[in-house]
Amino acid sequence: MTILAALLLIFSAAFFGPAAAKYLKKSSGWVLALVPFTVFAYLLSFIPVISGGDVVKESWVWVSYLGVNMSFYLDGFSLMFGLIVSGIGTFIMIYGGGYLAADSNLGRFYFSILLFMGAMMGVVLADNIVALFIFWELTSISSYLLIGYKYEKEDSRKSALQALLVTGSGGLALLAGLIILSMITGTMEISEMFGQSGLVAEHPWYLGALILILIGAFTKSAQFPFHFWLPGAMAAPTPVSAYLHSATMVKAGVYLLARLNPVLSGTLEWTYIVTGFGAVTMLVAAWLAIAHTDLKKVLAYTTVMALGTLTMLIGMGHEYAVKAVAVFILSHSLYKGALFMVAGTVDHEAGTRDIRFISGLRKTMPMTAAFGCIAALSMAGVAPLLGFIGKELVYEAALSSVSFPMVLIGMAVLANIAVVASSGIVAIRPFFGEYKEYNNKHVHEAPLSMWIGPGVLSVLSILFGILPFLIDTAIISKAAGAIAGTPDLVVSLKLWHGINAPLILSIITLLSGIGLYLVWNKVRESGAVQAYDRIMGQGPVKGYEGWLNGTLGLAAAQTKFFQNGYLRYYMLCIVAFFVVLVGYTMLVKTDMIIVADFSDIYFYEWTLAGVIVIAAFAAVFAGSGLVAIAALGVVGYSIALLYILFSAPDLAITQVLVETLTVILVALVLIHLPQSKVKVSMGSKVRDGILAGSLGLIVTLIMLAVLNTEFDPFMTDYFAENSYVVAYGRNIVNVILVDFRALDTFGEIVVIGVAGIGVYALIKLGKKVITKKEGTTA
Amino acid sequence: MEIINDLLLFLPATIVAIGGLTVMMLDGYKARSRTIYTTTMVFLGIALGVASWDLLMQAPELIFSDMAGAGGTAAFGTFIVVFGTFFTVILTHDYLIGVKHNFPQVYPLLMFCTFGMIVLATANDLVTVFVGLETMSVCLYALAGIIRDKRLGVESALKYFVMGAFSTGFFLYGITLLYGATGSTSLPEIGAYTDGGLIYWGGVSLLLVAFMFKVSAVPFHMWTPDVYTGSPTTITAYMSTAGKTASFVALVLILDRAMPFIATELTATFSIIALLTMILGNAVAMVQDNVKRMLAYSSIAHVGYLFVGLAAGSVAGYSAVLFYLLAYTFMNVGAFGVVAYYEKNHDVHFNNVESYAGLGYQRPIMGVLLSIFLFSLAGIPISAGFNAKYLVFSAGIEAGLVSLVVVGVLASAASAYYYLRVMVYLYFREGKESVSLIEPKKVYSFSLVFLALLTLYFGVVPGGVTEMIYGYFSDSMLTATAP
Repeated sequence: MTILAALLLIFSAAFFGPAAAKYLKKSSGWVLALVPFTVFAYLLSFIPVISGGDVVKESWVWVSYLGVNMSFYLDGFSLMFGLIVSGIGTFIMIYGGGYLAADSNLGRFYFSILLFMGAMMGVVLADNIVALFIFWELTSISSYLLIGYKYEKEDSRKSALQALLVTGSGGLALLAGLIILSMITGTMEISEMFGQSGLVAEHPWYLGALILILIGAFTKSAQFPFHFWLPGAMAAPTPVSAYLHSATMVKAGVYLLARLNPVLSGTLEWTYIVTGFGAVTMLVAAWLAIAHTDLKKVLAYTTVMALGTLTMLIGMGHEYAVKAVAVFILSHSLYKGALFMVAGTVDHEAGTRDIRFISGLRKTMPMTAAFGCIAALSMAGVAPLLGFIGKELVYEAALSSVSFPMVLIGMAVLANIAVVASSGIVAIRPFFGEYKEYNNKHVHEAPLSMWIGPGVLSVLSILFGILPFLIDTAIISKAAGAIAGTPDLVVSLKLWHGINAPLILSIITLLSGIGLYLVWNKVRESGAVQAYDRIMGQGPVKGYEGWLNGTLGLAAAQTKFFQNGYLRYYMLCIVAFFVVLVGYTMLVKTDMIIVADFSDIYFYEWTLAGVIVIAAFAAVFAGSGLVAIAALGVVGYSIALLYILFSAPDLAITQVLVETLTVILVALVLIHLPQSKVKVSMGSKVRDGILAGSLGLIVTLIMLAVLNTEFDPFMTDYFAENSYVVAYGRNIVNVILVDFRALDTFGEIVVIGVAGIGVYALIKLGKKVITKKEGTTA
Repeated sequence: MEIINDLLLFLPATIVAIGGLTVMMLDGYKARSRTIYTTTMVFLGIALGVASWDLLMQAPELIFSDMAGAGGTAAFGTFIVVFGTFFTVILTHDYLIGVKHNFPQVYPLLMFCTFGMIVLATANDLVTVFVGLETMSVCLYALAGIIRDKRLGVESALKYFVMGAFSTGFFLYGITLLYGATGSTSLPEIGAYTDGGLIYWGGVSLLLVAFMFKVSAVPFHMWTPDVYTGSPTTITAYMSTAGKTASFVALVLILDRAMPFIATELTATFSIIALLTMILGNAVAMVQDNVKRMLAYSSIAHVGYLFVGLAAGSVAGYSAVLFYLLAYTFMNVGAFGVVAYYEKNHDVHFNNVESYAGLGYQRPIMGVLLSIFLFSLAGIPISAGFNAKYLVFSAGIEAGLVSLVVVGVLASAASAYYYLRVMVYLYFREGKESVSLIEPKKVYSFSLVFLALLTLYFGVVPGGVTEMIYGYFSDSMLTATAP
């Protein structure tokens, strides 16, 4: 098996999802779970290789001359992510099968979630930036389908579109950033960029690439001020939230930052932007969590807080921070995945997930309650769970930050106090206290499929907490080393570090958090927290909606203005732009020296020119169309006279004929047209006048320039010399027509012949239509 | 004889022209409309076969005393044009019967138009460009108003004609000035001229303005939405794919052969045009409720992306443009094909996006097809549209137009909004039960499926064709060399 085969396995399974839902019914989730589990087992087999210090690369040529390959890169970090994606994915398939067992669209769920799973695996394993981007956008699209799963609800359609627009646009910014990065480094493989951080940092495009990539990562990982889409995405069915919005998709941004850390970090811009946005997100989101009573909303905000923490740690970039990133990603995925599933189970069984209406469920659903509590303890950072180790490391990293350590640790502690309170909200409120039913719905324990996932994940939280050596050399060391860009980093995790600053801070956090939980109801209802939620929680949503509506409004206004359907208006625009473009080009590109020589112009030529000008003005100011046509006719005949004066009788005849025909035709048309009732205002007359004048000016300038160039007598001489010698004709014009340009003339005859056939067909058609009409009326 | 050899190398155009005449004669002798359609398809089928053979086998060569080319870009342009026409005729036949206006004149017009397009796409001389452009345009004016008792169609035809005639004036004047400045109308010979001067620049700018009109680049795009909305839907597909391809291929040839030394000086102009076109096309498409009009505006937006490739002024840019045209032809003919299918079942007002509600579940195949085409138009990966955008934008970045590309990327992100909106209506809205779709004809759905497969195929493996296009420029004997 290869990595590509593993991905294809998941993608092809997606297409069997609907069939599985139809024919396997209840067991479909269990069967489909075999797919991610196979991949999980396959990835586990790499642990000896990876922890031995090797990396695995795989590459298939895709578009060779562009350097785009379908290539994969497996090191400690992508392995850890791959294990999370496939491991939690296994339980999500089982859980989803139970959760949506009664839903008629279960097949669609399987399809979308497997599609997403494949894409997410692609994101964490891809080495080529184009491949990475493609998988990245696929996660956005599949998440759109998943959030909009209950499409009959307006709310879920809106949230789905919101999530797609935010993450999708971010994805495109990311593509631009990645392409710039590949231009700088000259390679499309991330693994080949690793050695070039110095080159990248000094490049003038560095900041541009950095900002674009950060936009991509921040939108995906819901960093402030894009944090609003994640709580909105809670409209998705809970299995989706548990998978996408806690453990996998939202971590893609963090994954990318960590992946590119060896390439992009080490500059002040990186440190300040990444740390800053991460820290602000962490603090803002943590306190937004306690303003809500919807279990999933609370969890969503704590997830945003965790993502902020990770971003902050990546921004710091020193050894402690990197270790903390690796541990925190794992611990968070374990407890948050479990908690979301528990919240979903509660919702499923009790009919609501608003904690104001439910309590005391521990007696009726003991398994769910137990696992929920364990996961919540891990989230609160209570020893001996893995969450405790994670939080200790976060504190340690903040304390040893190079810049502003005191500010960062303050923010971290404040944020974690809120998280402790949130843990209480999600694990104590629903399960303890007096038994309360919502809408008299009888509550009982969920089926095995719905508690096995949280069960395994929370047991792992305990196991890894008590026996951290199980993972530290096998997974965490290499993951942290890959993030830092120093593969031989050694991490040894311990539960007990002795009494030190992080421990004291942990105890403070825990006690304050419990305190906050006890007064939570009052705090939540207080004006300050509500106002805070309006500004920080709803504010960005308003901003997004304002931006969306503003864009649409602008587009509408612009359409009304430019695309009003009037032909005359279109002409006006085209002439105006023509004047600007051509005039500008001529002004800039040429020196515009035009020598006008009026010495050999006779008075009758001046007179004719005068008549033309006067007639032109008369045409413009004429009251009726007929007068204008007559005036234009005067212009045309005067030009014919000019031709005669310059001894070109053939041209003059043509001109007279065409002019006569035009005047008669236009006059005929005008007689049949209704009188225009539109009054043209003075302002628009002046505008049209200026425009027409400048168009005339440009054409005149070109004419003068043409006159200024030297006349090339080549063609004239050629015809004069050869018409008698070669073609035996004395009338040069005739000779040109029938001899030198015989093919042209032949072509003209062909055209007339073709036109004749056309006319014939049309005449026949006229008859046909008439007979047809008679037929239908009769 | 040389002329026979040249005609053989020009076979697709010759076949199409003879086909057009034949079909016209058939119409004159009151043949049944079915016969006319079949004859058209036979001629087009042969032409498509020859064009495909040329595309794969024919080496670049100049024919008709260097007035036109064969093989290379010429074969590529010819192929897209004939390909687009082939499917347009299939869709048009069905569509016109559906809306009960099956005029047989549409077939000779389409054939003559196609002939003009081929001439345009193979031209190596400004005179040939002009002949092709006008043959194409005059037929398109007539095609736009082919449904004569539909006021919107007649209005659009008139608008198209008046403004088209205007731009033709620019074009002719431009050719005249360029000839005056350089002493030649042949593209490579103009390309060898480097002096500049007022007449030269006057000619260049007039020529480019005329082309911007023909390809509907902002600010010369005003006719496009009106004409695209007013014309029969499948004809709109034809204009926006085959027509645009021919014009763009000619423009690329002119830039590559006749103006190689001023490419860098044109970058600024093209960048501004690209910027305006992308922003305006996308912004306006967002607020359209009429799907046909939305696709018209989106075609303007796509012209904007194409101009990014032109602005790059490099081999990478030009070949990206050609690939884009190919991809765009597949997906846009496809998208219009499905829209026409929905429309002909009902009336013209059925183009409103609201009336698409829930249609995705009726005739699921059509819904899936439209989704594929729209995904591709939005430039979402594993579709030809994504690769096309990728190539154009990366050529832009290579040429240092980073900020332009960033705007382009953001604009195309915005475009996802209106493409996906259609899909939201197709799948995520409850439909009215009163609407029921008739079963599409086999050949109709097969054509669309084929186009969708091509869209996906070039999304997954664009390698072969992109390398082929790249080769046209890098070792083309036609490319002007520095004196």
